[in-house]
Amino acid sequence: MALLTLACLMPGVTQAHDGTGLVGGFQSGFLHPLGGPDHMLAMVAVGLWGAILGRPLVIALPVVFPAMMAVGGVMGIVGLPMPPIELGIGLSVLVLGSVLALGLKPRAWVAVLLVAVFALFHGYAHGQELPSAADPTGYSVGFVLSTGLLHLVGVGVGYLLAQVAGLKAVRALGGPIALAGVWFVYVAVAP
Amino acid sequence: MRGGALPPALLFAALGFLLAYAPRKLTPPAVLAMVAGAAGAFAIGVPDNLEEIAFAGCWISVMATALLLHLPGRLGALPLTMVGLNAGVWAGAVISVAGTPLDLVIALPAVLVVVPAALILHTPARVGVKIVGSWLAAVAILAAAIPLTPTAGYEPDHFE
Repeated sequence: MALLTLACLMPGVTQAHDGTGLVGGFQSGFLHPLGGPDHMLAMVAVGLWGAILGRPLVIALPVVFPAMMAVGGVMGIVGLPMPPIELGIGLSVLVLGSVLALGLKPRAWVAVLLVAVFALFHGYAHGQELPSAADPTGYSVGFVLSTGLLHLVGVGVGYLLAQVAGLKAVRALGGPIALAGVWFVYVAVAP
Repeated sequence: MRGGALPPALLFAALGFLLAYAPRKLTPPAVLAMVAGAAGAFAIGVPDNLEEIAFAGCWISVMATALLLHLPGRLGALPLTMVGLNAGVWAGAVISVAGTPLDLVIALPAVLVVVPAALILHTPARVGVKIVGSWLAAVAILAAAIPLTPTAGYEPDHFE
C-alpha cells in the first residue's frame, strides 16, 4: 500500500503524457542521430570520405548532406512513398564504407549524387518522427547540428589521421564501417 | 510550441554569416535595417490569420539568406541592406504573432555570429562558415514543412 501511494506521488507518472507530442525539442533532436549506429557511421563516413577527396568535396559533401536530409525529412513528413528506408540506410553505410576502404575518387558530381541519395533516406527516417515533436524547430536544430557535427568529426579525424599515419589509415576505417553496413542490410532484409 | 526567439534567432544568425563575407563597413547599415525592420513589423503587428504566412516568410528567408553564402561574388551595400531589412521584417512578423518583445531582444544578438564567423574566415577552418550556414537552411526546410501535416506536435491535442 505504501509503495502504491509512493508510486502515485511520483511526478514521472504524470510526465508520461505532457499533452503535446514528444517530450523535449533540441535535446531529443540532438541525441537522436547519436542513438543509432547506422546513422552515426554513415555521417562519419561522409566526413572521412570528404577528407580523402579534398576540395571542393570536403565542403560540398557536408553541405549537401544536411540539405538533402532536410528534403528527405519533408518527404517523410508528408508521407511520400519511398523504397524501404532501413534498407536504404543500411546500404548507405555499406557503400560509403566501401568507397572509403577502396579509396575511390569519383567525379565530383557522382560523389555528390551518391551522398544526396543516401541523405534522403536518413532524412526520411527523421522526418517521420518530426511532426509529433512538441518543439519541432528545436528538434530540427538539434538533429541537424548533431548530424553536421558528426560530419565535421569525420573530416577532422580524416585529416588528422592522414597527416599522422597516411591516407591508408583513413581508408582502413572504411572496412569496419562497410562490415557494419553488411549487418544493417542483413537486418533490414532478414525475415 | 514553434514561436519564441528561435525562428528569428536563426534568421539573424543566417544574416550574420552572410555579413561575415562582406566588407566590414557594410555591416552596420544592414544590421540597422534589420533592427528597424524587426521593430517596425512588430509594432505594426501581423493579424493572427496570417500566422502561417509569417512563419513561411521567416523560413524561406533563412533558406535564401543561407543560400546567398554560396554566391561566387560579394553582395553590394544596397542588396545587403535589403537582405537585412527582409530578415528584420519577417523576424518581427513572426514575433508579433507568436512571441513577445523579450523574444526579439533574445534573438537580436544572434546576428553577432558575424564576429566569430569573420575571424574564422581568416583561418584554414573558413569552410566551416558555409557548412554551418547550410545547417540553418536544412533546419528551415524542415521547420517550413511541419505545417503540412495535420498532426503537428505543437498543436493542442485531446488533453488541451
